[in-house]
Amino acid sequence: MTSAQDTNLHFHQELESLEHTVLGMVNRAEHMVEMAVDSVTTGNLELADRVITIDEDIDKTYFEVHQMWTTLMARFQPLGSDLRKMSVLLQLNATFERMGDQCVNIARVTQQNDGLPRVERICDQIQEMGDLVRPMIRTSIEAYLRQDLDEARLLPAMDQPVDRLNANMFKEIVAVASDPQMLEWATKIMMASRALERIGDQAVDFAEQTAYLITGKRAEFVETGLDKLGDDPDG
Amino acid sequence: MTETTTEEIVTQSSDTEPALEQTPDDRQRVDDDVPNVIRTRAMNVFYGDFRAVADVSLGFATNQISALIGPSGCGKSTVLRSLNRMNDLIIGARTEGEVHYHGENIYADGIDPVRVRRTIGMVFQKPNPFPKSIHENIAWGAKVNGFKGSKLEMEDLVEQALRSAALWDEVKDKLGESGYSLSGGQQQRLCIARAIATKPDVILMDEPCSALDPIATLRIEELMLELKREYSIIIVTHNMQQAARVSDKTAFFNVKLSEEGMRTGHMVEYSPTEKLFTSPRETETEDYITGRFG
Repeated sequence: MTSAQDTNLHFHQELESLEHTVLGMVNRAEHMVEMAVDSVTTGNLELADRVITIDEDIDKTYFEVHQMWTTLMARFQPLGSDLRKMSVLLQLNATFERMGDQCVNIARVTQQNDGLPRVERICDQIQEMGDLVRPMIRTSIEAYLRQDLDEARLLPAMDQPVDRLNANMFKEIVAVASDPQMLEWATKIMMASRALERIGDQAVDFAEQTAYLITGKRAEFVETGLDKLGDDPDG
Repeated sequence: MTETTTEEIVTQSSDTEPALEQTPDDRQRVDDDVPNVIRTRAMNVFYGDFRAVADVSLGFATNQISALIGPSGCGKSTVLRSLNRMNDLIIGARTEGEVHYHGENIYADGIDPVRVRRTIGMVFQKPNPFPKSIHENIAWGAKVNGFKGSKLEMEDLVEQALRSAALWDEVKDKLGESGYSLSGGQQQRLCIARAIATKPDVILMDEPCSALDPIATLRIEELMLELKREYSIIIVTHNMQQAARVSDKTAFFNVKLSEEGMRTGHMVEYSPTEKLFTSPRETETEDYITGRFG
């Protein structure tokens, strides 16, 4: 094997390691969503603390990925699909770090709402949002791993009920506004709902990055669940 | 065909057809309106019985930088040398097919290859100044190529050529010193100035930075971007990042084993540079630029 091929083998090994590290972040984020939702719907402070601890770890990984990424770019100046993957991994690093932050926002709501009365109906709605968002993250991960464009395109449609539940949350809060203690709890819960809605959007972003990796074309998925990628005459 | 000189070729016709081998996608990224200064049609180059490159059909746009990349032996330098009949100087070399410069075939009967080379200048891999003063490197070349102006006009020509090659400020106080007294990067810019002094239309560059350090390389690359306002530039480079930095369109050449068992170069893909280096059309290109080649 030539030294040039050795060098490239080395690059691809390091690229794989970088990819593995970045995907490790989203695997942790997926788990964090489950814990954060459980913590806020049941008032479990211990779970909230665990979410915050895991996020500290994700933040550390975020900086490590940045360092690895910069070093790889400086050493190898990749091109073609390697360059696209590098571009995607940098974007995903930021997306997954923010997913972690949104989970922390939910965990903070658990802490702030400690001791306040809860409305079970609203808790159920938050739980439902969590149950919708986690499969979105899982589907995005699977689409990436399988490089499956059709699977990536499922995401906008999966996001729609999450958006609807978040929009509906305001009405639920107005309904309990007559009780000041309840209102304080519900206002904080609104933040948790908003955080879950954002996590849903981040899962859609992840799928868009996957689509770019596969097609080489940047396109935002539109809300109907369809997108313009397939219609591109140059595709 | 009647006898035609290159000078006549220059003034005769201009080829305004879009570049060859473009897909609809390419046309989105490269102006349709950009005319081709040079285009080849089914060009084959032989060294004796050995076919070095096969069936190259390529259009090079006016006032753009076009890059030719590919592994060693893919024929990219051979193609470049065929664009101004430099290959004629190699014994046994033969070009078949056509190379049109502003619509006229430079391989047609009656075309003077010396005039072709004056209009389509060349800069080589290794700086090769004449063993003369900096001034004479420009002036002598211009005189040999028929410059007949006054002394004052010659001084002006030397200054303008050195200014265009971004070398004037560094050498204006030592024009009488030998061209060899300059650094490698300066020598290469002197060679570019020498090429410019003959008032070419196209500048061919054969790995012009491969013997230079990164700073000198950067200066040449900046110079190329300046020069493309007035000239059309075609560059052969081993450095893919250099092609990505400076060129508008890039042609990727590769080697394949011919039926006769010979390694013959051919063009795989010709795309806007950004497309070629981020999402190439051909798997062969992708394999090369990501190092999975071979």
